[in-house]
Parts: sequence; C-alpha cells; structure tokens
Amino acid sequence: MLLAGGQGSRLLALTKNVAKPAVAFGGKFRIIDFALSNCANSGINTVGVLTQYRPYVLHSYIGTGAAWNLDEDDGGVSILPPYETESGGSWYAGTADAIYRNLDYILQNDPEYVLILSGDHLYNMDYAKMLAAHKKNNADLTVSVMPVDWSEASRFGIITKANDDAILKFSEKPKEPDSNLASMGIYIFSSKELIAALRKDAKDEKSSHDFGKNIIPDMLAHKKRLFCFEFNGFWRDVGTISSYFETNMALLGENPEFNLYADDAPIMSNAPTTPSQLIGEKARIENAIVANGVRIYGDVENAIISTAAYVAENAEVKDSILLPNSCVWEGAIVHNTILGERSVIDPGLVVGSDSDETTVIGNDVIVDKEYLEKLIADGKAPRPSSYKKAKSTIKKAVAQKGGGQK
Amino acid sequence: MKHIVGLLTTNYLSTSQSEITSRRPLAALPVLGRYRMLDFALSNMVNAGIKTVGMILPLNYRSIVDHVKSGKDWALDRKHAGLFYLPGTPYGLARRGDGRFLLRDFLDNRAFLDRERDSYVVVSGGSIIYNMDYLPLVEEHIKSGADITVVTKPATMETSGLISFSISEDGCVKDYKKGTKPGDTAFLDTFVVSAEKFLELLDLYQALDHLDLFEAIASEKTLVSVQAFEYDGPAFPVFSLQELYSISMALLNPELSGLLFDWARPIHTKAHDNPSAKYEPGAKTSYAMVSGGSIVAGTVENSILGRHVVVEPGAVVKNSIIFENCIVKKGAKLDHVIVDKNNIIPEKTELKGTREHLAIKEKQMRPPKASEFVF
Repeated sequence: MLLAGGQGSRLLALTKNVAKPAVAFGGKFRIIDFALSNCANSGINTVGVLTQYRPYVLHSYIGTGAAWNLDEDDGGVSILPPYETESGGSWYAGTADAIYRNLDYILQNDPEYVLILSGDHLYNMDYAKMLAAHKKNNADLTVSVMPVDWSEASRFGIITKANDDAILKFSEKPKEPDSNLASMGIYIFSSKELIAALRKDAKDEKSSHDFGKNIIPDMLAHKKRLFCFEFNGFWRDVGTISSYFETNMALLGENPEFNLYADDAPIMSNAPTTPSQLIGEKARIENAIVANGVRIYGDVENAIISTAAYVAENAEVKDSILLPNSCVWEGAIVHNTILGERSVIDPGLVVGSDSDETTVIGNDVIVDKEYLEKLIADGKAPRPSSYKKAKSTIKKAVAQKGGGQK
Repeated sequence: MKHIVGLLTTNYLSTSQSEITSRRPLAALPVLGRYRMLDFALSNMVNAGIKTVGMILPLNYRSIVDHVKSGKDWALDRKHAGLFYLPGTPYGLARRGDGRFLLRDFLDNRAFLDRERDSYVVVSGGSIIYNMDYLPLVEEHIKSGADITVVTKPATMETSGLISFSISEDGCVKDYKKGTKPGDTAFLDTFVVSAEKFLELLDLYQALDHLDLFEAIASEKTLVSVQAFEYDGPAFPVFSLQELYSISMALLNPELSGLLFDWARPIHTKAHDNPSAKYEPGAKTSYAMVSGGSIVAGTVENSILGRHVVVEPGAVVKNSIIFENCIVKKGAKLDHVIVDKNNIIPEKTELKGTREHLAIKEKQMRPPKASEFVF
C-alpha cells in the first residue's frame, strides 16, 4: 500500500499543481519511481497506490504500471482515491484512515502480509529482506529504521529497541531522544493484525488515524510483537526544498552518496519518448546529470538537467535543477535555482543568488524581468547576486523565442 | 481514407563486409546512441496512425526481436491488430543488401496480406534514417490511381546501397538501376500499394519469386504503373559502416538532427531502465550524443556514446562511435574508432583510424560486469 496522497506543501511552487510523488527527480525520474521500482524489484506484484492531492499527473504517470513491470493479471497496480459510500464521503484523514478506507482492497487480495510505504521517499531497498526478518521474528509489525544524526533525531519517529530487535519504545518527534534509530515510515504488518488495529483505530474518535501517532503506540501498549529492521543504505524523505535539492545533488560526483549507476536493482520509470541528448560544440558540462532529449549549448556545472530541458548558447546553469522541458535562453544566468517543468528563463536574465537561499520557480512560468522582480518583492525569491559579478561574457541576448522544440 | 497497414522488411544484410554491419541484420544496427535502424521506419508507421505492422524477419532475427519484443514501445502491443512477426526466407541473407523486397518473402506471407485485403500497405525497408509522414504519400497514391507509388528523393551523394529510378515527365517510373550518383532520383525503400493490387502482383510474378519486387517490375515494365512521390525531409541511407559513420557525424549538427527529430513525430525506441547520463567534475564534452546510463569523466568530442558507456578520467574519445556497454579505461585514447558492444578498452590503449579507414573494435559476447563499471 503506497501512500501517495500528500501535497508536499513545503515543496512550495513545485507541488502547486502536481502531487509530491509526481515531482521530477534526478533527471529522468519522478519521485514515485523509487517506491514502485523497489516493489517490483522485491517481487511484490500487487500494489495499491493511495492518491488524493492533485492526482492527474500522478495517475497518468502510473498508468497501468507497465513501466515498472506491474501490469500483471494477478494483482498489478490499483489506484485508490478517496470515494463516497452510502453514508457519504470525505478526504483521507490520516495515513491509517487512508488504509482503513481501502480495507476492501486488502480483503479482496487477501495477502498474508501488507507492506505500507510512502510514495515520496528516495531510496533503493529490497523489501524481501525486511519481510524475511518479519517472518523470522514471527512479528505482528516490523518497522524499518535507520540511524540518523543525534542532532536530527527529534525530527523523526524514534525507536528504542532490545538486542533482539524488538521495539521497546516508539516516540514521535521526541524533544529528548534516547535513541537515534528513526522510523522510515515503512511498515510490514501481518494482515490480521493490521486489519484488527485499523478497525479499532477507526472507532476511536480521539485518534488522528496516523500510524506513527496512534497505531504503533497502541499496538505497543497492547504487547503486540513489534520489531524493527535496520536499513543502512541511502534514504531520504524529500519533505522540504532543501532536502529535495540536496538529495538531487547527492547523485553527483565520482563517489555519490546516492549511487544509481552501480546497482543491480534498476530504478524504472515511465520516461517519455525523446531524442538522444545533444551536446553542442561550445557546451561545457561538469558534474552534472543530463537526461534524454536535453540540448546543451551553454555552460552547466553542478546541476541536474531533466528530460528535454534546453540550455542555450552563452547561458550558464550552476548549482541548479532544471525540471523536464524547462528552458534557459541565451545569455541567461541561473544559479542555485530549481526551475519548474516547462518554465522558461528569458534571454540574458540573471536568476538566483549565491547565498544559501534557493530560488524556486514553479511549473509553466515564463520568467522575464518583471516576473522576477515581483517574486523578489513578494519575498518568494532572493535578489540575484550582483549582476556585475556574474559571468563577464553576457552578451545581449539574440535568441529567438519559439525556436527549437518550444 | 482507407485503412493502412505497414509492412517492414528486414531480411537483408549490409553490402559491406565489416563485422559490425555484416553480423547483424542491417535493420538492427545500433545508431545515434540509443536507436536501431528499424526504429525510424517503424516509428513513421506508428506516427501515421498505422496500428497493424507486419515485420518480415531475417533468419538471424535475435537482435531484432530482442529490440522490438511485443512492440510495446511503439504502442503495437494490441489485442487486435498490432505487430506481426513474419518469417523471411533464408534467401534474404544470401542476397545480402541487395533485394529488400524479395518476392519469396512476400509470397510466404500472403496470409498477412489476405487478412488486410481492403487496406493500403505502406512497405518500407529498415535501413533509412528518416522521419516521414506517410499520409500524404497514401493520399497521392489514391489520387493518381497508380499501381504502386514509390518514395524518392534527389540523391546528393554516391551510394551503392540504394537504387535509383529514371522518371518520365508525368512522374512515372520508367527504369531503374542499382546505386545512385548525385542528381539521380534515389528510391528511399518505401512504397505504397493496395493489398488487393499487391496480391495480384504476387500472383503475376510467382514464377520470378527469386527476384526483388522491383527487379520483377523492371523486367516487364508495361505491366505495372509505378508513380514517384518526392519526399523533401531529411533521409540518410545506411548500408555500410562508412555510411553509418559519416551520417552519425553529420547528425551531431544540431540543425540537421533537429530536422530529423521532429517533436511532433517522435522516433520511438526500446525503453531501458538506466539512470540519466552523468558527467563528472573535470569532464569535457562537445559535439556529442550521450545516452542514458553513461558516465563521462574524461573527454568526449565529436562522438556518439551508446547506453551504459563509461569514459574514465583521462580517457579521450574523439570522432568515434561507441556502442552500448563499453568502458574506455583511464588514459585510453580513441580517434576515428567504432567500438562495438561490450568492449573494455584497456588503460592507455591508443587506437587511431582515419575518416577513410576507421579503426574497429569488434563486438564482445559478454558485457562487462556491473562491478567493472566503477572506476
């Protein structure tokens, strides 16, 4: 059961018109690729995807699940949006409520175990290993955990465990954590226990119907068999602009923290048909990921250039992420910026600051001087670093708008 | 508009004897990093709204079927219609590049045409890089009332692979010869015919079944009316290694490849699940096509890299084409080289060819292990 209904409001303009799991990542991917690929690579062929916020892009991207080899007769991908019943309808109230309201789906498939995942986490994990641990421990619930920095521990659900991995204590965002093992929001339940716990929780009017806040503490209190499973690979919840930005950048470098190139379990994606990428004569590309369909004629450094994006001659893109089909016109300078899908930076414009603050441009925007001034005036973007300090070779833009594939 | 089906012929090899082009069917030759030659004709069919495509296969069909599979990447995995693999005769390989439209291959697969009796059939070989809208061709064919309408283009260079037509003032094909010289009317291995007429022609030429359809037509010119239809878009025939090389280099030019890769009519190819191409700090790249899963840490200039190619730090790749699953180790230098699949170029190797005499690294059977791609 893949929870993919969240808005991801802290991703600001990036999720204004798409759900967070459908936000592009790492050049050719979208965030949900990781959870779906992990399922497929772990041998899970029945996946319910719970959607709610701005679902169109997400739904059409998932399609039949064929891109992840999940278009199977027996199981496959089912999209599970909130629905009306004879007694009315409402939005999913919390993670547990979302699953509870799709109990029919679980009962119909009648699995022995249910894996509950978030659609907005970036990692490559074999859930089969976690399931093996769950079975070995004869557990009712297994929670995947990973060690985090002590300084960060109070941001997470923190687990205190015994030597045999049994969970002794679970505290949601504790002020004074007594462990640094954080819950990754990945749960394997034995079906019977899940169904019982959800039915009980649904009757509790005081509950906020959340796994971390309600279900796990209640199961612990009732002496259920709760175990944890430690994961030591790369895992990120890209909840904020800075974590989204940093996780993209973690793909870069010769020994990247998040290595997609040396793994036997490929991350699959429903990538569109585009031509080969084309690197022009005067292009300079260092430390970058560049997807298919991209044309680069300018300078690119420390950047993620997503599918079919365009960097014109004399343009400079540094410490930035260009999302699919975005475009930086001739002579424009883009630093420390996330440029939304299909958005365009006008010729010669300077966007982004060399301070810590990332400039975020949403989808489908034409960024001209006026638009940028308004963003800055509204406090939505930092003032660009001194125009003089920027690349000395800015030429007066001569690029014709409307050229290329645009 | 009547119903149109496609028929793609791939039962022939290259006329040149180089290992790279002679081992695999020409239609399965890797090109421009992530494509195979047949992608262009097959995509043209799909982009014209054709939902039924027959593909005549050579005996050595492994690489073609591995690439096209169910036809899913061209949306040809249909419950009805879709992709039909049709067995070609052994004769195709014996005739090498000559004879793309063997009567025997068509006769053996009459069943496909019988099913589509009421349709027009767009027939194409699999060795032209082009992006053509077939609909005006079919419209013109219906309007002219000709038996067959062939796609032509004025030849700009000398080739031995194509055939050329002499055309009368009213656009009728009068004669044909092998090879093209600049100024000739080159046949782009594409024609349209109604299935009904096609079946009639097959009956007519049954006794000449060892010939190519156009050889048979040329032998009895008055029996069949052949009309020419001039195509004015980009078209690049690839029948030899030399042609593969010069056309690949030419298509590094953004304007030319922009014409070919019309975004309204995308060229489809087999989807791979590899991450996007990666450029390391210190990488130098100019005039290049780099495919998914590749990592560039050295220098790549005026070159095309297939999927999953690693150019290690200090390695230099110039004026070269590297097919998928290759590693160019530290300090190796390649200039005017074509490297076929699965090669590891050892450290500090220097390979240098010239435009006329390209250096070749032949295909290795086993791809390097995943661990070998780490440097």
